[in-house]
Amino acid sequence: MVTRRGFIGGASVLAISAVIGVRSARAQDSLSPVSGGSLAWGVETEPSTLNPHLNGQAKAKLILRNVYESLLARTADGGYVPWLATDYTISDEGKTYTFTLRDGVAFSDGEKLDAAAVALNFRKLKEATYSGSISAGHVSHVVEALAPDPRTVVLKLDTIYSPFLDGAAGIEIISPKAFASQQLKSGGSEIAGTGPFILERYVKGQEIRFVKNPAYNWAPPNAGHQGPAYLDEITYRFLPESAVRTGALTSGQVDVIEGISGNDAALFKENPDFTYQSAINTGTPYTLYLNVTHGPTVDVKVRKAVLAAIDVARVIESVYRGERTRAWGVLTPADTDFYDKSIEGSYGFDAKLANRLLDEAGWTARDADGLRSKDGQRLSIEIVQSQATLRDQRDVLLQALQAQARQNAGIDLALNYVDAGTYADRQKSGQYGAIPNSTTTQENAVTIYFHYLPRDLGGSINYSRTEAPEVLAWLRGAASTLDHKERFDIYSNLQRFAILEQAYGLPLYVPEDQVAAAANVHGVRFRPFKHLPENAYNIWVER
Amino acid sequence: MSVSPTVSRASGIRHLLLMAFRRPGLLAAVAFLLAVAIGTAWPQFLSAYDPIAADPLQAQLPPGAAHWFGTDQLGRDVFSRVVHGARYSILIGVSAVVIAAVVGSILGLFAGLARGVIDEAITRFLDVVSAFPDLLLALVLISFTGPGTVNLIFALGVASIPRFARVVRAQTFVIAESGYVEQAKTFGLTKAVLVLRHILPHAMAQVPILATIGLGTAIIGAAGLSFLGMGPQPPIPEWGAMLAEGRNYLRVAWWIGVWPGVAITLTVISVSVLGRHWQASFEGRRQG
Repeated sequence: MVTRRGFIGGASVLAISAVIGVRSARAQDSLSPVSGGSLAWGVETEPSTLNPHLNGQAKAKLILRNVYESLLARTADGGYVPWLATDYTISDEGKTYTFTLRDGVAFSDGEKLDAAAVALNFRKLKEATYSGSISAGHVSHVVEALAPDPRTVVLKLDTIYSPFLDGAAGIEIISPKAFASQQLKSGGSEIAGTGPFILERYVKGQEIRFVKNPAYNWAPPNAGHQGPAYLDEITYRFLPESAVRTGALTSGQVDVIEGISGNDAALFKENPDFTYQSAINTGTPYTLYLNVTHGPTVDVKVRKAVLAAIDVARVIESVYRGERTRAWGVLTPADTDFYDKSIEGSYGFDAKLANRLLDEAGWTARDADGLRSKDGQRLSIEIVQSQATLRDQRDVLLQALQAQARQNAGIDLALNYVDAGTYADRQKSGQYGAIPNSTTTQENAVTIYFHYLPRDLGGSINYSRTEAPEVLAWLRGAASTLDHKERFDIYSNLQRFAILEQAYGLPLYVPEDQVAAAANVHGVRFRPFKHLPENAYNIWVER
Repeated sequence: MSVSPTVSRASGIRHLLLMAFRRPGLLAAVAFLLAVAIGTAWPQFLSAYDPIAADPLQAQLPPGAAHWFGTDQLGRDVFSRVVHGARYSILIGVSAVVIAAVVGSILGLFAGLARGVIDEAITRFLDVVSAFPDLLLALVLISFTGPGTVNLIFALGVASIPRFARVVRAQTFVIAESGYVEQAKTFGLTKAVLVLRHILPHAMAQVPILATIGLGTAIIGAAGLSFLGMGPQPPIPEWGAMLAEGRNYLRVAWWIGVWPGVAITLTVISVSVLGRHWQASFEGRRQG
């Protein structure tokens, strides 16, 4: 059960949630799905590109998964089930992955899904000119992508790399024709996939519409049903304002919305005309990563002071009205494989400690605004937040952090919301004090590698820019073993080092997805294991 | 809106009292602007709290005795923020209008006096600038300079230059050809004296009125651009930015967005009432 309805506690809330649970369960028992019709879904985030290889926005997956599929699907307990591949084997020495492809799968542009097409996807992803920083990720370990026969793909790695299966199984496979298309970077109808829906219309800033793929017949066994999708048409409307989404659903302009603010959640939870579900994401929490190579945060004492100066629990409770979970570690608790919960409660708000650390670090003077300074320089940390990932009231959260840091320790957190181009530049040049972000799509600890490897060795989102040799050694050690316990212990060490000893970042809250739907919409659910809202394949509308 | 010559000629206090009696709306506008002026110059006088001091435990409290306008999503006192916000909103509006009035008047005067090619060049330039809606032009300028208080003032100021330049240019034309200037010329006055003593004061006569009316537009423009995040950055309590912050809470905490909205509305209405009254009395005097 992915819902967290009992969160607030209290008998009345439990009673209400029980009622909702019973009601929806009964509805699913007595009603059989009907095909046809259309659905409008208000979403918060517009995809920056429609090419699934190049899109790093977790929130875009919900849309793109209608068109693009991958080799294996995940089960709720973290297992793998067939999808575009019916089977896979890993060689004894752990470096060769062989996938057997399903027969009779076609891309919506008419191309056949065969081994050559899949191998081409892997080869292209390795090209830095095509996929940029992604090429340094797990695909960088692929030395050969072979297609010995039309149904068999063989991927040979340069080394044992334990997170590879999750990464490779999740890569969206696009049509070989797409690589010659003008739309390759932006995405579009020429970038064909094998999914249950086909892109029909995309109006930038407004909506994206998909129509049913009538030939679709290769859903994974845990998708809810087989054959084509129920809906004839699904439209996602881009409604970046949470209040607008809430209003659009309550007024019936859309049938489903995602991204519900803590303030509005009760509106849907307590109303039988709607269903409300939420699920915490896997990956990394929304974390304020502190740059160890630029500005005052070069000093570990300043970094530790930032961690101690902010009362995260109180801020999260206040901003999200009890609807989000405070985070502690380098992974979210949903990452059941590798989350070490011993970190919880092992550090926290301590204004005295923060002030003592800053005094020791020499930031003893105070300017007219009550902010600390040293040699006439204000203790100012520039937070660079990408507008593309500014969602879920994060602007309010950042302002709350800003107020806490100022009031509790005299630290100036300067907020700078930047566009995608500026964000990429700053990330590349390292000219920032802190970057807050979360990732929600890479599991099996792959995301740890992206966050903590040196940038030139695959740490594409190493926001803290650490190049500590012990971290690199740990990550290499963990990657080269397939022993789960050993990996768990290594990541656990890394977590303590990164947060308690080095204060590379301050974990803030666990990102989650919320979906509210009109009561006559059925089949809305979260993707097993990954916990992102699932595509529209299994959704049907009761009429 | 015309005011009888009797009233406009009446003197001092009697004039004011009569006006207050006959035009309560005007009195209210003046009183409100006075309060805004105090808020701008001396916000501590009106508010008890630090406008940027957040308290997570006091978030989203409805209006009450301790917090007259309630508290916002971070537990900051909304009344204090509205009072302190006057400084930013008014400062931006006034500065933008001053830039526009000064630069616009100089351009207009220059065009009106020089005529010929220079006039053509200036007029065409003004045509190009005014081809873009004010706000759009300001947005374009800010996209080059980046958000911030100074950049916002500059962008809004530049966008409203043509309004002033056009009026001053037209007035300069009329006055330069009027009888008394012709007369002055025959007295053999130098060009500088002619311009400074006889043309400039009359050509500029309408500028303060235009500026007052334009101030309302500038305040709305500033609030609008701040709403979009182009103005002062958090945690500065600017009205437009506060409105933007409050928009997602309208359903649960209306007071976060409504009070700054009320402040913007009342200020702009008051400024407009004052400007229109001034304009009417100016026109009335000219007719009378």
